[in-house]
Amino acid sequence: MEMAEPRIGVYVCNCGTNIAKVVDCDAVAESAAQLPGVVVARSYKYMCSNPGQEMIVQDIEEHSLERVIVAACSPRMHERTFRRALESAGLNPYFLEMANIREHVSWVHDDGEEATQKAKALVHAGVSRVARNEPLERMSVDMCPNTLVIGGGIAGMTAALEFADAGKKAYLVERLDHLGGNLARVDLTAPYLDSARDIITDRVRRVTESENVEVLLDAEVRSLEGFVGNFKATVHQNGRPGESGSDVALDVGSVVVCTGYKEFDASRITHYGYGKLPNVITSFEFERMLREGRVETKEGKPPQYVAIVHCVGSRSEEFHSYCSRVCCMTAIKYAREVKSALPGCYVSDVYVDMHAFGKGMEDFYERSSELKTLFLMYERGGHPVIRKADPGDDCGMLIQVDEQLSGEVIEIPADLVILMVGMEAREDSGDVARLVNISRDKDGWFIESHPKLDPVATTTEGIFIAGTCAAPKDIPDTVAQARAAAARILGKISVGKIEIDAVYAEVDEDHCSGCRICNELCPYVAIEYDPETKRSHVISALCKACGACVAACPSGAIKARHFTDEQIFAQIEGVLA
Amino acid sequence: MAIRANPKLIDELEPYGAEDVVKCYHCGNCSAVCPFSEAPYVFPRRPMRYLQMGLEEKLKGDLQPWLCYYCGECSDQCPREAEPGETMMSLRRWLTSRYDWTGISRLFYKSWRYEVGAVVVVAILTIIGFLAFGFSQGSIDHYDGPNAFLPSSSIHIFDWTLAIVLLALLLSNAARMWWFTMGRDKTLRVSVGTYVSRAYLLVVHFFTQKRYSQCERKSPWLVHLGLMLSYVTMLILIMFFLAEMASGPGVDWRVHVFGYIATIGLVASTIVFLRRRIRKSSAAYKHSHESDWIFLILLLAVALTGITQHILHRYGVDVAANLMYVTHLAFVVPMLLLEVPFSKWSHLAYRPLAMYFAEVRAAGLEKAEREAAPAGDLQAA
Repeated sequence: MEMAEPRIGVYVCNCGTNIAKVVDCDAVAESAAQLPGVVVARSYKYMCSNPGQEMIVQDIEEHSLERVIVAACSPRMHERTFRRALESAGLNPYFLEMANIREHVSWVHDDGEEATQKAKALVHAGVSRVARNEPLERMSVDMCPNTLVIGGGIAGMTAALEFADAGKKAYLVERLDHLGGNLARVDLTAPYLDSARDIITDRVRRVTESENVEVLLDAEVRSLEGFVGNFKATVHQNGRPGESGSDVALDVGSVVVCTGYKEFDASRITHYGYGKLPNVITSFEFERMLREGRVETKEGKPPQYVAIVHCVGSRSEEFHSYCSRVCCMTAIKYAREVKSALPGCYVSDVYVDMHAFGKGMEDFYERSSELKTLFLMYERGGHPVIRKADPGDDCGMLIQVDEQLSGEVIEIPADLVILMVGMEAREDSGDVARLVNISRDKDGWFIESHPKLDPVATTTEGIFIAGTCAAPKDIPDTVAQARAAAARILGKISVGKIEIDAVYAEVDEDHCSGCRICNELCPYVAIEYDPETKRSHVISALCKACGACVAACPSGAIKARHFTDEQIFAQIEGVLA
Repeated sequence: MAIRANPKLIDELEPYGAEDVVKCYHCGNCSAVCPFSEAPYVFPRRPMRYLQMGLEEKLKGDLQPWLCYYCGECSDQCPREAEPGETMMSLRRWLTSRYDWTGISRLFYKSWRYEVGAVVVVAILTIIGFLAFGFSQGSIDHYDGPNAFLPSSSIHIFDWTLAIVLLALLLSNAARMWWFTMGRDKTLRVSVGTYVSRAYLLVVHFFTQKRYSQCERKSPWLVHLGLMLSYVTMLILIMFFLAEMASGPGVDWRVHVFGYIATIGLVASTIVFLRRRIRKSSAAYKHSHESDWIFLILLLAVALTGITQHILHRYGVDVAANLMYVTHLAFVVPMLLLEVPFSKWSHLAYRPLAMYFAEVRAAGLEKAEREAAPAGDLQAA
């Protein structure tokens, strides 16, 4: 049945001169006015401005417009703006279509005439398509106010406490039998030399005492199903020795992944002799010494010379190309701690570049250099070589360094060598990623939704990442991320409902053959298969409307809302007309 | 072959005045402002790095500290207040103690108490010696003439003996300096001809200090030159014209005119230097090592006692003149015997030598490069 042409309004934005300097916007509006169904077509300086939006609202009322085309920038920029304008005029927001004549036209073309032609074609495409747009309603689902926090380090505890303080329930799942994570292995923290133990102890106490935090120690998340606002998690808790463990089922609305990092295995670098030379130790082994209040060699003697080697496993082509961010200032901290424990001790700091970013760090570095720490610079890509000293030497080991500031190859004495081992993704990060359906980068770190603008969210809604599971970072950044993730989730909890975009794929179950091709294909694990009915079904809350299943379905049983075949073909016809 | 670093060296240099070298972060500003810093001698940054790392042998063979006249521009420009100028100065003190084979210099720089103690002991011995000598063969009432308390002929012999001892000490230390900086370097091939053809530089640098004049501030060079020329004039007068200087009662103007000018120069320049050190008037005078004070005070005391002795003699107060003569010698002998070979004054030999060696070394390097170049081309072809 041929339906009556809806009444369409076309608005061509000049974007100041961004569009108008290449495209003849008035000509585009004039040509649009000739198209079937178009009752009003205007060109205006800034459509996104308040007067621009008011113009649309007014026209909808005056001219009884049923569809609106805005030829302007990318829909990523202002689709929401104009959809809101339509809504405020009482029109379904999905009756808006945008023609991108800035990024796709004026910014990439010089020839004004041809660009204007292209803009006209894009507007034509929009006009053809918009007539076939369907009114869509957004859905909303209830938001479960509980949150699952995976990992009981500083990030996990901080996030859990944020929920507890807001009066919301948090389940804190820790793999080990105690809380604290890697920070619990550290003595003092840079640059203010606060005790890590104090930081941790206070948080452990608060988490344990809180009624709103349920701590599950010696436990692992086994499965996570559902979607944002409505996850079901199964946590397996190991029993005491002799007892069998038990599974706990949890209803949660969101998940914060705070699984942290593991330290680089120093024995992988053979020229440092770790594991062979007894007095070559890792930074964590040295932290242990400091916590025990002794700085000594394996022979139990105070060292006369201590050397600290930076970038062990970090910033190297062979191992990890990234910087582990915390080692430089930790090394400076060691220099100070050694000097305060053994004032007569000579400390050498063998580094590539000194990364002293962050509040208070440059001062910390400067003060430390005045303590007569000998800074020796080696070339990135090169490496110092540690060997046993000769019998006549007054030291246990000698470190050969191709020193960059002097251009000399030198040997420095050492009785104790501390290797600043970098951070790396935990070996089970792949399992965790699969469990919560998020992705990892080439180094195994979890990927955020946007590295700058959305650093704690992931591409899976309701799953957040915080701390060093996403990338190496220091305590302040980790805590900030944990709190940011909690704030994001608490915001959703306070709204109480999760709004789900009306654009998603739908399976026409009458046509579905149950072949399950789409099940495997969906990158968001949004398609469920019902073995009873032998039909697949899209969980609309998880669907991102990528269209992969639509294209793949051999029966043509899947329809993408707002991207129907009819709409797309109309658009193509429009652009070619 | 890797060079062994000695992290303790930096502590060892502290008594020599290198207190702030740890602050240096090698921006290179110091070497950029220095008018003398030019390849192959890039300082103060490089010697500062050697010192930070404790490359003791490298430093011992380094001529660079002597190529600096300490105008202080580098210290003024240093963003870290690492005092590169004073570091170079401390390295000169340290090098002086390394060149000296007797070990006396090390003691002096280890603590000023040793140096002051040695000055006092030598002064007392000088007083005792000359009083004993005077009373044994002359009369305290006679300044000159056959019965003179300290006859110029005897002092003349004493002066020359002292000069020979000093020369022997200085030359043996200078030989060690040559060995450390030139001789033991196997990579350096310099012909005797190069040494001979550039020997004139020794005299030029000694008498003109022309490199000092290249510093932005000219006044330190002028005062320094004035002090040096005054002293040399005085030395020539004493070594060769002592009889004419001492005999009275008339004034032989042909000799004395030089003596008076030199005395004025000596006193004025010493006072200028003392004032600058007291007022810390610029970077170069901000850090005064004990050895700097001892040297200037001895020099001023020598000049003032010499003047007093001369006036007393001219006015015929022979007893007082003789006593003042002994006092004068009590300052002169320690000043020469201790300061020239073992302390601050040794730079009169080491600095011109270093500049001479540096030129020879640069010529040697250039020659080696020239010789290497065609060979390389042939290989490439």
